[in-house]
Amino acid sequence: MEDETFLTDDFLRQLINVGEVDILVGLPTHNNAKTVGSVVQTIRSGILRGFPRERAVIINADGGSRDGTPELVTGVSIDDMRPTTNLNALRTLHSISTTYANGAGSGAALRTILAAAELLRAKACIVISPESARIEPEWISNLLRPIYRDGFDLVAPTYRRQKFDGLLMTNLLYPMVRALYGVRIREAYMPEFGFSNRLGSRFLAQNGWNESGNGAGIELRFTLAAITGGCRICQSFLGEKEHIERRAADLVPTLRQTVGVLFSKLESDFSVWSTVSGSRPVPTIGSEHELLLDPMRVNRKRLREMFSTGVAELESVFRSILSPSTVGELQRIARLGEEQFQYSAELWVRTVYEFAAAYQKSVISRDHIIQALAPLFRGRVFTFLMENRSASANEIENNIEGLCLEFERLKPYLVEIWKSRE
Amino acid sequence: MPLNTDVLWYKDAIIYQVHVRTFHDSNGDGIGDFPGLEQKLDYLQELGINAIWLMPFFPSPLRDDGYDIADYHSVHPSYGTLEDFRKLLDAAHERGIRVIIEMVLNHTSDQHPWFQEARSSPDHPRRDWYVWSDTDERYKGARIIFLDTEASNWAWDPISKSFYWHRFFSHQPDLNWDNPAVREQMWEVMKFWLDMGVDAFRLDAVPYLVEREGTNCENLPETHTILKDLRRKLDEQFAGRMLLAEANQWPADLRPYFGEGDEFHMAFHFPLMPRMFMGLKLEDRKPITEILQQTPEIPSSCQWSLFLRNHDELTLEMVTDMERDYMYDMYAASKPMRLNLGIRRRLAPLLNNDRRRIELMNGMLMSLPGTPIIYYGDEIGMGDNINLGDRNGVRTPMQWSGGWNAGFSVAEPQHLYAPLIQDPVYGYPAVNVVSQKESEHSLLRWMQRIITVRKSTGVFGRGSIEFLYPANHRILAYLRRLGRETVLVVNNLSGTAQAVELDLRRYKGNILIEMFGNNIFPRVGDLPYLLTLGPYQFYWFRLRRV
Repeated sequence: MEDETFLTDDFLRQLINVGEVDILVGLPTHNNAKTVGSVVQTIRSGILRGFPRERAVIINADGGSRDGTPELVTGVSIDDMRPTTNLNALRTLHSISTTYANGAGSGAALRTILAAAELLRAKACIVISPESARIEPEWISNLLRPIYRDGFDLVAPTYRRQKFDGLLMTNLLYPMVRALYGVRIREAYMPEFGFSNRLGSRFLAQNGWNESGNGAGIELRFTLAAITGGCRICQSFLGEKEHIERRAADLVPTLRQTVGVLFSKLESDFSVWSTVSGSRPVPTIGSEHELLLDPMRVNRKRLREMFSTGVAELESVFRSILSPSTVGELQRIARLGEEQFQYSAELWVRTVYEFAAAYQKSVISRDHIIQALAPLFRGRVFTFLMENRSASANEIENNIEGLCLEFERLKPYLVEIWKSRE
Repeated sequence: MPLNTDVLWYKDAIIYQVHVRTFHDSNGDGIGDFPGLEQKLDYLQELGINAIWLMPFFPSPLRDDGYDIADYHSVHPSYGTLEDFRKLLDAAHERGIRVIIEMVLNHTSDQHPWFQEARSSPDHPRRDWYVWSDTDERYKGARIIFLDTEASNWAWDPISKSFYWHRFFSHQPDLNWDNPAVREQMWEVMKFWLDMGVDAFRLDAVPYLVEREGTNCENLPETHTILKDLRRKLDEQFAGRMLLAEANQWPADLRPYFGEGDEFHMAFHFPLMPRMFMGLKLEDRKPITEILQQTPEIPSSCQWSLFLRNHDELTLEMVTDMERDYMYDMYAASKPMRLNLGIRRRLAPLLNNDRRRIELMNGMLMSLPGTPIIYYGDEIGMGDNINLGDRNGVRTPMQWSGGWNAGFSVAEPQHLYAPLIQDPVYGYPAVNVVSQKESEHSLLRWMQRIITVRKSTGVFGRGSIEFLYPANHRILAYLRRLGRETVLVVNNLSGTAQAVELDLRRYKGNILIEMFGNNIFPRVGDLPYLLTLGPYQFYWFRLRRV
């Protein structure tokens, strides 16, 4: 068992009181009072509806909220001390909270949840985002059931999303994880997910918790650990995922905790992914994906400007990361007008692969490499938006599929440059 | 040992429920009888019980195991004579054992002469002793209790060409308690037995005495008026005798049966029993504490009657649909185990013959507020036979020994009123009184011990209860208090070892004395009192300031 000294005595006392459980719902939070109340009420409803007989617990790992978030979570406990809230429940439902050390960080939160799951011998666990404003009680069943009843180790979510929501996922993470690891998981960077005790314990023991900073991007590490560990993985459709507006300045931190994590994992997983060819679907319960075609406001002009500016200002950086031909091609398209601009799938895949190889070699600071990807990603997004502005859901999906196939087709190129730089 | 003279004797009682037919056969006809029961009174005295509750022993066609009475003033010839009953009564009293008998007020057998006369002619003077109707459309609000066998509460009488009302089987017509003559006659019946010396009545099916249109015909004010009248007469003429209500109702509906201490002395706490089983299976005290939280205060002279199992199915009427489904799945996975809205199984098979769980359930039975009732044979862990019809599977002969007919009867086995339990686990060669008496650690010995400990203090029978709510929900803990005496009860409902912290700060300075071994536990201080309990373990501690 992983060293659990990072758990506080008070939290351990709470775990002793909870005892062995069948189901554990983890809720990492940090100042989420605006949304967590309804989220946790829905979680409770989901447990009561889907698993009324099972021993369940809600574990809140909080990063030091100052807005009363933990109190909102613990308030949904069902016990005999508050009979008015018993909701015709068969049994006690504990909802407990602990504050982990070292400030907010999804890694510390997940580590706390995993440790609790192991100590409580939870058979099936899920993690729910405290920001999931559109969560429905069925999400709980949809994530838990494949673990609890069908023996899967990891349940990744699929959502109904706005067509231009999750562009980093559709243009980079999904196709690259698919091409490299050979497994088609739509949301490898999972806001919500389910996992077995077996997978949780293994990850708890194996993950280098002290080396991974505050653990940003831990969800992606978790997915990749499940894949490389040969775990049984499936996807489960949850429902509509709300679109959360991100500021442009948020892109680099997001790239760090997603692409950065992926690039770093490629290093340790080379023996796995370098031998994989093609990809296979994973069992999916419900829709694999659903798109809403509601119009979204996107400042395309600004995207292209940021791309062009980046290509101009970061030329020397790019020359240390990218091949001359790729740099040349980027400079060429940067000069094109809006109507002619085209950041093709092939060029985008080559770009990403060359970045990954450069990251592995640490040709410059790894953080600078990730930062340098930001303007290029914006250029790719501009093209994606232009290509799909009038497209139907099927057409968009076909375009994503085409990009995925391009990632798979060019994978030998990655292996080649990876090896050549060794 | 003379009977104690305390009029509240029932609060300190430990009742043993037995059917004369099932206990011991003295004349070799294959059916238990009064002399046989009398011969076994020493066994019951040794067990430690101080009251027996006899199921119906009146003349009856026995289509409902005697709850279909055909004569209220005699005993069924299979069980002996009235004189035999009198002897039993005296012998029990000599041993300090009170005798509670069954009295079915609500209905008679259709073979009872009263009904035969009533159906003979609409003009017969006894016609109005029963409830008749030209239509079966009246009292539609009344539920059908025996859902598995009855489609209506009305039955057609081909003799008098009209319908008669029955809340139970159709061969059990309800008496018409609106008729003053019926009321007078039934009091005379009770008086007959009280004059003989019986100590108490267990009054069967009392919620259903009166019918009124537009109601569910249960718990009606008119019914309570009748019961209060019976109680008044009892107090006036037979002080110190007791009435025990059988009313399978929710606690709030049961409360009126105590009146202001002027109706029943005792009533069964039906909703608690299934929740004890539920709490054990869930490993969660919530079902138990919740139902007890919903249980209203009762007058100081009144008492709840608690039981784990009895002669009927484990009734699931007083649970929610979700709880009932859970109970069925957990305790009666096989369809033949189910009957009506319940489970027809004995205690030991319900608990998979797990000694630890049997002890824990008996521990709770003996320590929760009320008077415990032990169903015959459960003190040795007898099994059941679900292949027998109705509820007969839990009414098989008492297993006294591993010898001929389990020591129950010298008759040929085929002449026994019911087959013996013979399976390898619960059969009489494995489970019997003789072998358990010889084993120091048998369930029987353990039952004797817990009864002794229970009787060592009045706190369990008469004390108040206060639940502690430790954060560990697998632990059911409560304080029983009477005067200056305080007992702490801690039950682990879980099959795994548990740690629990109890807030006992107000008892700071007290030491805990474990009541079974009289060992001293650490003194209570400022910190939460930490206890560890093994699987299904329980503690009774006497708190004492030294």
